[in-house]
Amino acid sequence: MTDLDDNQLVARVAQGEEWAFLALYDRYVGRVHTLTLRILGEPMLAEEATQDTFLKLWSRARFYLAERGSLLLWLLTIARRTALDRLRLETRRPTLSDSKDPTEAWQTIPDGEGLPDENRWRSVRFALDALSPEHRQVIELAYYQGLSQSEIAEVLGWPLGTVKTRLRSAMEHLRQEWGGR
Amino acid sequence: MTYYQHVPFRENIPAYALGALDAEEAAALESHLRTCESCRDELDTYRATSENLLMGFPPRNPSAALRRQLQRRLPSEQRAVRPRLHWSFSRVAMGIAILLLLALNVFSITQVQALQRQQDQLISQMQNGQMALEMLSYSNTQTFRINEGNTRGSLLLDKEYNNAVLILRGLPAIPANQTYQIWLISPNQDRVSAGLLRPQTDQPFIVEPIHVTQDLVNFVGVGMTVEPAAGSDHPTGMQIFRIDF
Repeated sequence: MTDLDDNQLVARVAQGEEWAFLALYDRYVGRVHTLTLRILGEPMLAEEATQDTFLKLWSRARFYLAERGSLLLWLLTIARRTALDRLRLETRRPTLSDSKDPTEAWQTIPDGEGLPDENRWRSVRFALDALSPEHRQVIELAYYQGLSQSEIAEVLGWPLGTVKTRLRSAMEHLRQEWGGR
Repeated sequence: MTYYQHVPFRENIPAYALGALDAEEAAALESHLRTCESCRDELDTYRATSENLLMGFPPRNPSAALRRQLQRRLPSEQRAVRPRLHWSFSRVAMGIAILLLLALNVFSITQVQALQRQQDQLISQMQNGQMALEMLSYSNTQTFRINEGNTRGSLLLDKEYNNAVLILRGLPAIPANQTYQIWLISPNQDRVSAGLLRPQTDQPFIVEPIHVTQDLVNFVGVGMTVEPAAGSDHPTGMQIFRIDF
């Protein structure tokens, strides 16, 4: 274990210091892996996506800018894109509009300060559970399966307008729940 | 821009923040966002919402093997592995190169020795041929024909200068453990060895001087037999020819 914070560690990783990289791996692998597993469902595929995520951290650490957001969110953004790319590859689905390089697409990530990590994921979980099944379903398919609105409409057999309305409503509910965080 | 002009774009912002907007709508919204600050602010709040979704699950660690696997992909491990492989490969390559050089060296030496032997044989044949020509050009030289089975040839004899040369072709093949032996025959039929003859198989004919250790006038004939490879002190094998002079 190290007393160095994320920013200090990622700066060391950018300089090629492997111990710092492994320290960050130990610190965040559980958070990254749970997301890749959520998206891919298959433990072996999820481990590959987790590994790819950390290899991207190793090779792109110099691009991380602390002022744009926390390292964890940067990592999770990379993990989501990596897992969705893998999912598209496995299901032969076309690449979607949000599948740009994570480091390019990464614009403004909130710092996430104010809530300890465990409280944070519990509050997120609580808000998701509070959604109606239909709302939860569109969020699930859009965010964790990477489907576009028209693809969701096709998968669920709903009119496209219904999908748009439910997705907008679900997001509005979550935004209210998290106070715009 | 009026509020109503924003509406179609605003409606798409939550889906865009989730990455769920179809390509055409996403392109239109992005174009609008470049000029509309209030929509950009709206997007920021939805982005924060979608990014919270990344946090929605309790941590779950992968197998311990993944860390070791990842560690092996790091440069220090790669360096630790690569030099071993490289060193091992270099050693094998160097060993093969040394063996090839040694083999080439041995082959070259063998070739040089073979060429040396051929050169010696050619010089010897040339000298023998020269001797035969000199004898033929000399009027006192006697010529005796040899015609025994397949063996044909001549004996050139010069008693004055005590020289004798055999010119032979068609000698029967003999095994490696045997040789031809030339004998001088005395008046009382005793045989005195006049040299061994082991012809090369690729020669069309043989010109072989007879090794005369005594005066030729003391002898009445020449013969040739097949003997063991080291030669014999008296004839023991098959007679190839005999010439009386």
